[in-house]
Amino acid sequence: MNFAALAIALPFLAASLLGLAGTPRQGAVANAAACAVLLVLTLAVFWGHGAGLVAADPLGALFGVLTGFIGFTASLVNIGYVSADAARMPTQRWRLYHALFQIVLGASLLGLYADNIGLLWAAMEGGTIAMTLGVSLYRTKRGLEAAWKYFILGGVGIGLALFGTMLVYLAAQPALGAGFAAMSFAALSAHAAQMDGALLTLAFLFILFGYGTKAALVPLHGWLPDAYAEGPAPLTTALSGPLINVALLAILRFRHLLEANPVAMRPGPFLLSLGLASLFLAAFSFSRRRDARRFFGFSSIEQSGISAFAFGIGGPAAIFGGLLHMVLHTLLKSGLFLALIRAASLRGPASPGNYTFSHLRGLLRANKYVAWLLAGCIFALTGLPPSGLFVSEFIIISQTIQRNPYMSLPLGLGLLLCAVAILRNIGPLLFAPAAHEKPKPAGRGMWLVAAHLVLVFLLAFATPGPLVHLLSRAAEALQ
Amino acid sequence: MSLTFSLAHLMGGIILLCAFLQLSQRRLAAMVTLYQLEALVLAAAAFWQGYAQHEINLYLTGLITFALKAMLLPWGLREIVQRFNMVRAVETALPMAAAMILGLALIGIAVLVVLPVTMHAISLTREDLAIALSVVLLGLLLMIVRRNALAQIIGFLSMENGLVLAAIGMPGMPFVAEFSVALLVLLAFLVVGVFLLRIREHFDTLDISGLEDIERRGR
Repeated sequence: MNFAALAIALPFLAASLLGLAGTPRQGAVANAAACAVLLVLTLAVFWGHGAGLVAADPLGALFGVLTGFIGFTASLVNIGYVSADAARMPTQRWRLYHALFQIVLGASLLGLYADNIGLLWAAMEGGTIAMTLGVSLYRTKRGLEAAWKYFILGGVGIGLALFGTMLVYLAAQPALGAGFAAMSFAALSAHAAQMDGALLTLAFLFILFGYGTKAALVPLHGWLPDAYAEGPAPLTTALSGPLINVALLAILRFRHLLEANPVAMRPGPFLLSLGLASLFLAAFSFSRRRDARRFFGFSSIEQSGISAFAFGIGGPAAIFGGLLHMVLHTLLKSGLFLALIRAASLRGPASPGNYTFSHLRGLLRANKYVAWLLAGCIFALTGLPPSGLFVSEFIIISQTIQRNPYMSLPLGLGLLLCAVAILRNIGPLLFAPAAHEKPKPAGRGMWLVAAHLVLVFLLAFATPGPLVHLLSRAAEALQ
Repeated sequence: MSLTFSLAHLMGGIILLCAFLQLSQRRLAAMVTLYQLEALVLAAAAFWQGYAQHEINLYLTGLITFALKAMLLPWGLREIVQRFNMVRAVETALPMAAAMILGLALIGIAVLVVLPVTMHAISLTREDLAIALSVVLLGLLLMIVRRNALAQIIGFLSMENGLVLAAIGMPGMPFVAEFSVALLVLLAFLVVGVFLLRIREHFDTLDISGLEDIERRGR
């Protein structure tokens, strides 16, 4: 049975229902129910990966489960968020919000499962439109500005990616001829050596800058911090990780076509320079951020850059490290944002302005449990042990030393600068003397954040055998 | 065969000319008219390619392009120009002449990049692709050199015409009609977004320099 197609269809079906009926709270509960079913379906994809246009490979299935899990936890925390915030928007817009929640999930899954470069592009386009509408939902001046920026930058990226997609199709003509075969990832990577190398190089540049916009690689990152900071937080922050993964995986797959073609240019230097630029821009942008969501937005740019860097180093082990890094970081970042959303609502209604660091100071007095969870997530983000990210970063660094020693120095420096900049924020966030306030209950769903943290730790230090097997097989195939 | 070539190239040339002329227009109404002409020729080109390649999909693309891009979108854009009273010239970020020289350079780059790497492709696709890439780059340039939100949208629309021009020239490519529909949805959101959300209220004069507010606050 083709569970992949089912898993893609369910969110779009749920979106059309959620968009039409229900109070905000009913919508949130129904949304969570749909996400629970979706999680089961994404797990089932391993046993029914489908064929034809929608055929999930193991890598896509793995990231699909990740997307399903993040959608599920975010939808549970979302119930509390909607109850606290219901008065902020009219009922109709809450319906739209829940529909967008599902559409973003569906678009991410379509991008992961599609074995067709055209469908992949359509998924990225749909995800972009849904996210833009999400960012503009509150209709504040800043929200509209952020949405406009997202739309223009994302739209240009989408356009460039389409041009690149068409060029890949043209490059595949000598090997595969006209028709659907020349757009399938499986067929393309099997015949990469016979493709037109020069055309493939040109195509990759368009793809890199097109999907690089969606993966927020510097210098195409401009939309991300603004998009994170405006709009309803569960949608614009927690769910943006899966979309970024789709773009990064697309870049990885197209990169493989170049590596397997004897004529095409080596893609390594492009990816290395974009990755390092992201790392350093984030390192130097951390210091002046006052809004926590913008701050962690720059951290997403940093992590995206690290994965792109790993793909640029090349070789199965480095790509293994990059993929593991993507899995761990997506889990960690969405957990962090769920904790952050709760922390902000401990200090009054979760309006956009309330995510400034000065507003969140001294969280320990508001609620110990939430404060320590948030601190744990932020600490894990630095990649210092015992954080799970330490493992993936260690693999990437050791591979860099082996394959491209001169690159290890800037990589290490960038990671260090980022870690220091992130660590500086933990102290004031927890211990700063805040005005006297009564401790508030942690609220439901915080165990989910703990689950995210534990998962990140376990997946890194006690990686299950099947996961290692899956990732190393995928990395070998895509080296 | 030679008629297929020369007509396809003629239409590609007209589209390129329209895209280039948009760089030289200060008034939004004139830009919309040029865009409309561009879309009309694109629709004709899609029909012609459909006839030459015997592809029903391309006829569909031509029909969509004609009805929505050449008729509905220009009408909507004119409505916005009228209603928000934006008939005056819009501000440019670069002097006109500099923008046009840059545009010429971009066309040169597109031709120099595409023609050598497509030596093995059939020649109809080759030259179409060079023209299409030029139109895409000119659209991007237009978005950069205009400060006005609506002018940026027109640049985006023009870029998107270049993409469709490239798609209809690909031999037997699946999903061409679907691509043009998907792009159209994106465009419709842009135009409707400006129209309904009345960015004017928030940005005062539809001048996107208001975006710098975000910069000032240090992101």
